[in-house]
Amino acid sequence: MSRGIGQETKGRRSFKPIGLFLASVAVLYGTMYAFAPDTALVALKASAKISLALCLPLALVFSVMFLLNLFVRPAQIARVFSRNAGLKGMLLSAAAGIISMGPIFAWYPLMKKMKEEGAGEGPIAVFLYNRAVKPFLLPVMIAYFGWAYVAIVTILTILGSIVLGYSMSVISRD
Amino acid sequence: MSVGIRGSPQGNVRSANVVFIIRACYIFLNGFSFVQENYMKVAISAEGTTLEAPVSRRFGISPYLIIVDLDTGELEAVRNPGSSGKRGAGVEAIVLVISKGVDAVVTGYSSPTTRKHLESNGVDVFTGVSGTIEEVLEGYKKGEIQKTQEFRSDVLDRWSFLRAGTITNAFKNSGNQFATMLPILFSVVLLMGLFNALVPGELLASLFSGSAIFDTLWGACLGSIIAGNPVNSYVIGGELLKQGVSLFAVTALIITWVTVGLVQLPAEMAALGRRFALVRNAICFILAVPIALMAVVILNAVTG
Repeated sequence: MSRGIGQETKGRRSFKPIGLFLASVAVLYGTMYAFAPDTALVALKASAKISLALCLPLALVFSVMFLLNLFVRPAQIARVFSRNAGLKGMLLSAAAGIISMGPIFAWYPLMKKMKEEGAGEGPIAVFLYNRAVKPFLLPVMIAYFGWAYVAIVTILTILGSIVLGYSMSVISRD
Repeated sequence: MSVGIRGSPQGNVRSANVVFIIRACYIFLNGFSFVQENYMKVAISAEGTTLEAPVSRRFGISPYLIIVDLDTGELEAVRNPGSSGKRGAGVEAIVLVISKGVDAVVTGYSSPTTRKHLESNGVDVFTGVSGTIEEVLEGYKKGEIQKTQEFRSDVLDRWSFLRAGTITNAFKNSGNQFATMLPILFSVVLLMGLFNALVPGELLASLFSGSAIFDTLWGACLGSIIAGNPVNSYVIGGELLKQGVSLFAVTALIITWVTVGLVQLPAEMAALGRRFALVRNAICFILAVPIALMAVVILNAVTG
């Protein structure tokens, strides 16, 4: 069965930094509780409020993530990604960046391979830029900022990626 | 018409390449009008890089793949990254074929798993083929090579996502991705709770001057430090907005959070080159400023 690119690095992925980050936050709260218990409780209540507000958007995030995993395979993303530095190629690379999932560093080997095989720097930059547009995370973004803002930022981000792609192509003389 | 050959390891391969090009031209001129089912690119597993080379019996571990573009007549011999035969070799061959935009694979044998992955990505598989590359191309031209029947049910392909295994696998993948995202998100939520309790609005107001340009630049600088999961930037940005930070700064932070990453710069330089990484990050930072400014101006115009 196909696996998400994000899972391909699972065996090598170190959980230490994540654990360390969580532990640091716990230490911060512990220290805060020792010196100012009231402030620590206010902070915990604020965190609980944020968590509650995130419950529904996160449930939607999981649903969209599931649907993307069901229909989109990493190999299809590699197929959509285009080496062509023209507008069509840029748009295809943007689409590949939008539907890609997993941490960015998991995609570096594929991008490196594409570059070695002659892919232009423009399409690669477009792919990386469009990782900022994540359909499965939109519920959280909409919950915080509203539909209109999300639509405007998403469209401008995609347009910005095309500008970036052409700039990279001009600089690298693709 | 152009003919390109890559991945030839031997020093004496140049003369073979010349023969290859001449033969390729011959085949092309004798009619590449035999396009079956509108295939544009066909990959043939091969033991060598010439047209006289025999078809390799196994697709996944064949030494070379000869890719024929039926539109242009271009032939390309590429070393199969899976030829080492080590674990996962088949996957490397599949990725190569898909990344080359191949429509059909012609080979002696392909494992059911490999075939399934190729076909689920729109690459048809022809197996049971032997002889030289030239003979195979001729046979293909005459329509003598038949598509493998197993896993070729269009109904099965179309509805493959309804299979229990696929659904379970998608569910597991989503669970893993979600589980990876949650600890950091939880930590960010706890930090934002602490931030809300400790940092007074006046302090934030002193950091952000109220000038659209300055706030946008400041937000872009904050977002450029780490290249992380966008969801964390939404939580941080949303909470900062509630604290009175301007939308210009929050928008620039959200945009640069993913597109610019100083912490991840060494990894990007190692993978894609120093110049590429530096130029890309610099342009992304510069782009974030007008995008953030335009986003807020348009939003204000739209919502009044």
